[in-house]
Amino acid sequence: MAQTRSFNPYTENGGTILAISGQDFSVIAGDTRQSEGYSIQTRYAPKVFRLTDRAVLAVNGFAADGNMFVKKVKQRLEWYKHAHSKDMPLKAIARLIQTMLYAKRFFPYYVYNILGGIEEDGTGAVYSFDPVGSYEREACRAAGAAQSLVQPFLDNQIYFKNQVAAPGTTHPAHLPLPDVLSIVIDSFTSATERHIEVGDGLEVYIVLAKGRDLQDFEAIRARNVHLTQELTVTEDGERIFVMRLDLKKD
Amino acid sequence: MEYNGGSVVAMVGKGCVAIASDLRLGNQALGISSNFQKIFPITDRIYLGLPGLATDVTTLKEQFRYRVNMYTIKEEREIEPEAFAHLVSSTLYERRFGPYFIEPVMAGLTKKPSGEYRPFIAASDLIGCLNFAKDFVVAGTASSKLFGVAEGLWEPDLEPEDLFETISQTLLNAVDRDAYSGWGAIVHVITPESVITRTLKGRMD
Amino acid sequence: MDSSFAITGKGYVIVAADMTAARSIVKMQSNEDKIKVLGSHLLMAFSGEPGDTVQFAEYIERNIRLAHIRNTYPLPPPSAASWIRRELADSLRSRSPYAVNLLVAGYDLPTHEPKLYWIDYLGTMAPVPFAAHGYGSYFALSLLDKYHDPEATVDEGLATLRRCIDEVSKRLIVTPGKFKVKIVDKNGVREVDF
Repeated sequence: MAQTRSFNPYTENGGTILAISGQDFSVIAGDTRQSEGYSIQTRYAPKVFRLTDRAVLAVNGFAADGNMFVKKVKQRLEWYKHAHSKDMPLKAIARLIQTMLYAKRFFPYYVYNILGGIEEDGTGAVYSFDPVGSYEREACRAAGAAQSLVQPFLDNQIYFKNQVAAPGTTHPAHLPLPDVLSIVIDSFTSATERHIEVGDGLEVYIVLAKGRDLQDFEAIRARNVHLTQELTVTEDGERIFVMRLDLKKD
Repeated sequence: MEYNGGSVVAMVGKGCVAIASDLRLGNQALGISSNFQKIFPITDRIYLGLPGLATDVTTLKEQFRYRVNMYTIKEEREIEPEAFAHLVSSTLYERRFGPYFIEPVMAGLTKKPSGEYRPFIAASDLIGCLNFAKDFVVAGTASSKLFGVAEGLWEPDLEPEDLFETISQTLLNAVDRDAYSGWGAIVHVITPESVITRTLKGRMD
Repeated sequence: MDSSFAITGKGYVIVAADMTAARSIVKMQSNEDKIKVLGSHLLMAFSGEPGDTVQFAEYIERNIRLAHIRNTYPLPPPSAASWIRRELADSLRSRSPYAVNLLVAGYDLPTHEPKLYWIDYLGTMAPVPFAAHGYGSYFALSLLDKYHDPEATVDEGLATLRRCIDEVSKRLIVTPGKFKVKIVDKNGVREVDF
């Protein structure tokens, strides 16, 4: 009898990513555990990457595809910079990612992408993608292994779903940065508690719009000096910070 | 679990417990009823939630009513939550190799020798493996969503009204992300004095 | 491919079932009555696996009659529905399960309330204001969400039923044909021309 062999080119590497946008900032976060089945391959594999001074990309799913995809996006952004002498705007990066994903419609990158950053008009933005390039701009999005745990929590805390505003008031369209950071950290500690593929470390990228008042952020930064690192290249544009926190390792 | 849909959650508070469920009965994707009860009072201080295959919801509800009545007559006292949890477990394990497709969740108050009441919650898998949690338990088609929201919202020692708000928000936001759960919701908060039952207004899609 | 519907209204339940008996693509009969009268104030529409349906319906009919004779009083609708459901639930885990779906409708004399129960072959039972089985349910339930009124008169109820049957006849590839319609209210069971 003829034997059938098959090679499966995909695997799942667990982990979860999350992004929330504010009025003039954007927060993009991901845990750093990389696993296959019940085995942890590494406790530190970044899933969130700085693309430009105002764009950060989080990738989750099949890690090899994710890394390759980020590499190719960065390459395209470099070509753009050489051709146009400026960074590609966020919404253009979003459209670029769509075309790059759809180009591989019949052998897709097995990756869920979330792009966060600052638009040309200075507003915070989050774009979320499926593996073949369908995308939309949203205020918040969770993806990956613990999406089902985190997204309904975000619906409640960010969109105020199932909550009624006090008489004569309305729910805010955008939350302040300290609130957003608290929600992001709570989401990941919750996901770590209940999902085996989430944990080890948390990387939170914070993109601040050009000329934004830094008072609230400096207060947070002061409390987490050793955890916070600035990644920005230029002084006068948008600024990117990354906070590295510990998550449970069990 | 996905044939009829439905979800249940139970939480511990300060001297009180709460149990809540959605009200949907479906046939796969088709909604049949928006008033299908899957939480039942066992005694004045024990409530039992039965998410899963709807035919077994009714069968087990009747089975537990019979067995608790027999227990009450023979023992000449009301059953305590711990004993009831083990009754649930052994009833399910009787069908170890042809199980009822139900994941029970129970909530109650245990009477201590001092006369005070201690909150009690438990959940079981479909063959009777008990889980005595100290915080909250979930079951049904929206269980992963319930875990996520409950883990974010729940805190220790909630007073009855705050526990009601916590369990309601947990349930509502979890079932809104689940196609098989929703179509209304009901919450019971059990306190030593009384049981507060409220049906919630939620999304009907 | 059979379809059955039921609607509660102010003091009544209307039950309708198609009258076609089919084997594969062949229509064998077009005047079959698929609604059993189980008592003075109790109706049961049945559908499902040919063979099982009539066998099960007659078994239920005779046992409901037996309970009436033994106890002098007939089983009220909630009790009858519970017992019928249990028969299906027990049958499900037996060596040869019945594949029969039911709509049990009755008028509860002590409480003066119309009662309707949706029951499927697994023994799933739900008390409902309106119900449907078969392919017709995919059309009728959404119509009934919009048009059902628990306070409607019999004529209004029949008009709503008309909408359901018209829609099924219009949109289902295999038109169910004629429908048998029965009503149960405080005066008992009666058949209406439709």
